[in-house]
Amino acid sequence: MGNLLTTGFHLIAGVEEHAGEAHKAEGHHGPSFIGLAVYVLLTVVILFFMMSKAKSGLNQRVFKNSYTSIFEQLYLFLENMCVGIIGSHGRKYIPMMMVFWLVIFVSNVIALFMPTAPTADLSFNLGMALIAVGYVQYEGIRANGVIGHFSHFAGPKLPVALIPISIMIFVIELISEVMKNVSLSLRLFGNIEGGHQAVLAMNKIGDPVFIPVGAFLLPIKILTCVVQALIFCLLTCVYISLVTAHHDDHVEAAAAH
Amino acid sequence: MSNEQKSSGSPIVGIILGAVFMVGGTYLSLNAKALGVGGIQETLEGQGIPLDFGKTIGTIGVFLILFPVIKSFFIKPLQDAIQERNSDLERTFTEAENLRTEMERMRSDYDRRLAESEASAREQIQSQIREAQNLRSSLMAEAATRADALVQQATAEIEAEKQKVLVELRTHVVDLALAAAEKVVGENMDSERNRRLVDDYINSVEVVA
Repeated sequence: MGNLLTTGFHLIAGVEEHAGEAHKAEGHHGPSFIGLAVYVLLTVVILFFMMSKAKSGLNQRVFKNSYTSIFEQLYLFLENMCVGIIGSHGRKYIPMMMVFWLVIFVSNVIALFMPTAPTADLSFNLGMALIAVGYVQYEGIRANGVIGHFSHFAGPKLPVALIPISIMIFVIELISEVMKNVSLSLRLFGNIEGGHQAVLAMNKIGDPVFIPVGAFLLPIKILTCVVQALIFCLLTCVYISLVTAHHDDHVEAAAAH
Repeated sequence: MSNEQKSSGSPIVGIILGAVFMVGGTYLSLNAKALGVGGIQETLEGQGIPLDFGKTIGTIGVFLILFPVIKSFFIKPLQDAIQERNSDLERTFTEAENLRTEMERMRSDYDRRLAESEASAREQIQSQIREAQNLRSSLMAEAATRADALVQQATAEIEAEKQKVLVELRTHVVDLALAAAEKVVGENMDSERNRRLVDDYINSVEVVA
């Protein structure tokens, strides 16, 4: 296992070095495309390794396998979050939230031990944000129809004389929707990459006496790993709840009838 | 549930779309300049925003593949296991509730039967007491009757004995009187007429007495 890990790290380092040189020559920061692919692959391998371990304990009546227990707790936590924020129909979003949570968390943990990580790359985070916000728009259109969904952007129905205000609100809302992508991706990127930079800067302080001062940031970074995964999922839930709130009202009204 | 399945769409479509996005992202990343996005990326890079649209599109592709794969590989079995366990627990609780209801029913039935048994026993005891009292009364009445009968019988026997003794006494007195008179008069007095005279005299004496 140790040899495998060492070989993996060397592979990543080699790929990074090889691809990074050409990339940096073009003025880019963060991992190259190949480097990011290797990190994502590593994330996926770790994820599937943990899920395989957890899956082996699913046939027990009471989950005694520690992996299974952890995944169960995560599932129940996300279920509470989805149902609490989105409403009774929020359960169907649990798989998506769980995938987001797992990928972000594992990537963040990789960032603790590696020079970089998928979530330390803004492009990767933007990809996740585009999926999340895109899915929110899809759900909004599914719940309210195309016209109904986009008419919400214009705010409440105003008299004809105030149509310019509605147009302004519409434009602001459109910008707001675009900014959701920026908000989700930049926050995650800033926290993880910022953590790296903070550790590097603090290590430089301890360099003369050979003390890795940056290591003292590890507890905060571990907390950041969890919190950032949580915030990404939480905000996605909030965005979904905003566009499907009417849908929930309809469901409740139908249930009441 | 059907709504959920509808919303998830076909996993194959997601995987194919994801693969297309990944290939497209790779191509875009490697040929950014040729495709005309290199300039935009460089501008953003210059402003401190390190973006590679190829990576972003590739990431979208990765997630389009990961969503259905992870869902079918792990999340669905996990959901099923949790659901199964919850159903098991619910079933166990229902069984426990049913058993509790049954136990309460049996307990009330037991209480009712116990009360009935106590009432029956009390009734039987009362009945036995009444029967014993009746028996005692009848026995006492019978004893009294028999005692009266015995008393009457004894009285009759005494009376008979008395009469018999009186007759014997009278006969004896008559014999004694006759013997005494024989001694006095020196002649046999044992005639029929003398005997009658003595009897009449004794009878007159008895009447006076």
